[in-house]
Amino acid sequence: MIVLGIDTSGYANAVGVVTDGRILADVAFEARTDSLEKIVVNIDDVLRSAGRTLGDIDGIGVGLGPGSWTGIRVGVTVGKILAFSAGKKVAGISTLEALAYGARDESASVCAVIGTGAGNAVYAACYRVRDGELTLDGDYYVGPAAGLAETVTDTTVLVGSGAAAYAKEIEREMNNARVHIVAMEAAPGGAAIALLAERRLERGDSDDALSLTPLYLKESTAKALVQQRAEKKKTWGKG
Amino acid sequence: MIVLGIETSCDETSAALVADGRDILSNIIATQLDLLRKYGGVVPEVAARRHTELIGYVIREALDTAGKTLDDVEAVAVTARQGLIGCLLVGAAAAKSISYARGLPLIGLHHIEGHIFANRLSNPEMPFPHVCLTVSGGHTMLLYADGSGRYELLGTTLDDAAGEAFDKIAKFLDLDFPGGPVIDRLSKDGNRKAFRFPRPMLRSKSLDFSFSGLKTSIINTFKEQVSRGDKLPLADIAASFQEAAVDVLVTRTVRAAHEKGVTVLSVTGGVSANSRLREAFQASARREGMDVYFPALSLCTDNAAMIAAAGYERLRRGEVSDLNLDVVPNAPLEV
Repeated sequence: MIVLGIDTSGYANAVGVVTDGRILADVAFEARTDSLEKIVVNIDDVLRSAGRTLGDIDGIGVGLGPGSWTGIRVGVTVGKILAFSAGKKVAGISTLEALAYGARDESASVCAVIGTGAGNAVYAACYRVRDGELTLDGDYYVGPAAGLAETVTDTTVLVGSGAAAYAKEIEREMNNARVHIVAMEAAPGGAAIALLAERRLERGDSDDALSLTPLYLKESTAKALVQQRAEKKKTWGKG
Repeated sequence: MIVLGIETSCDETSAALVADGRDILSNIIATQLDLLRKYGGVVPEVAARRHTELIGYVIREALDTAGKTLDDVEAVAVTARQGLIGCLLVGAAAAKSISYARGLPLIGLHHIEGHIFANRLSNPEMPFPHVCLTVSGGHTMLLYADGSGRYELLGTTLDDAAGEAFDKIAKFLDLDFPGGPVIDRLSKDGNRKAFRFPRPMLRSKSLDFSFSGLKTSIINTFKEQVSRGDKLPLADIAASFQEAAVDVLVTRTVRAAHEKGVTVLSVTGGVSANSRLREAFQASARREGMDVYFPALSLCTDNAAMIAAAGYERLRRGEVSDLNLDVVPNAPLEV
């Protein structure tokens, strides 16, 4: 099986190609605020460097986020419409899981973090690793990095961009000197997305391309405001 | 030749198949009216999320309705300039992906050029050169179009777009959203001479527009009654406001035609569906010995058929985009 992986949730267009668990190509192209301009050309370049064309691949893995809202919309739209128009299977992969996947050999307990861009708040998810397989431990987390102190109960690898600084904040919050946090600096990679997608596709587990949507983990500010107003009205109604 | 058009510049997710720039095989438009009503306007992040959810379904629906597959499509045209950036990105990402996956020519277009071609779709006989007024919730633009694909900007709004003024007045009068159709309907029962509202800049030589003074004048005239909860003569206010706005739009457009020495007027965009605007333009054109054209009502608001039609013209001239196509939220049409 040949799988293309793409992730545009951060400051890069990450594109990778894998086959049967082996990485053929994995490149992160810098794309500060606008993933759109180069993404298709980036995909074409990486496929070429792997000696493949879009027609050769069996499926597409797409990083769903969390991350830059604009970024994940570009990646998810490209992933789903490429799959639709080239007749390929698609598997949406959490960008946090792809980050954690890169650290799976380091510890039995891996937390992945991605900055939300608002102060020191992070998107995070913690995983248990057994035989190279990741299992989500609890729920996705959105909040200040220090809030992860409650979740981290044994020695953990914290992986992501800016992991060292987040690790310090968590340790400051923790009262347990026996629990260590090892920071691992990493950005989401296209090949990690492709490897996780390949595992799903091999099990016959794919997503419906047209209904694929980003993993925002946060409502837009406007929606949150409207909900708050509705809640207030409800409370008044009861009073 | 069948062109797939894609339009996501504001709050409509739309895809269409148009043959030879003339025949609309399908024109699927998913509106976000439910969201507009909920938030009282377009919230860019909310609109962009909705586009991402719908874009694939809308494209498939456009193919299915036309009874075609992507094998029948020969080019992809998309709105890439002028609009909300997060919204434009979704349509452009989809169009680039189809172009790459199917090896099809890609044409990135300016949104307003689409509106110009909405009128050509409805009136294939409409000649160039002409003066085109595009009026909608987001634009008020007077252009000279000679059919070459180059446009001369003659005038634009200095503050609110015409459709925006309708929405704001409707909101002030506590009417439904969007304001255009509501005010149009209400005005039919009102006296358009009941109040004499200002016609901003009507006597100025400029071909630019301004609507905020008209809006402020209405609000100042009635705000005390509104705060007292008095019953307002809604139909008369609506009709008088509409008359002032229409008066400015018609006068400016006719003057622009005189200045450019043309006798053909094209009126497009959401506000061009307004019945009083159409009536006033027709009366004026008759007086001036001019011809005026409007799109079919279904092509007034944002839609992808107009983008496919405009894209076909560009393609015929060999003007295609490459896969590095990017979106530009505020772009002059002249480029």
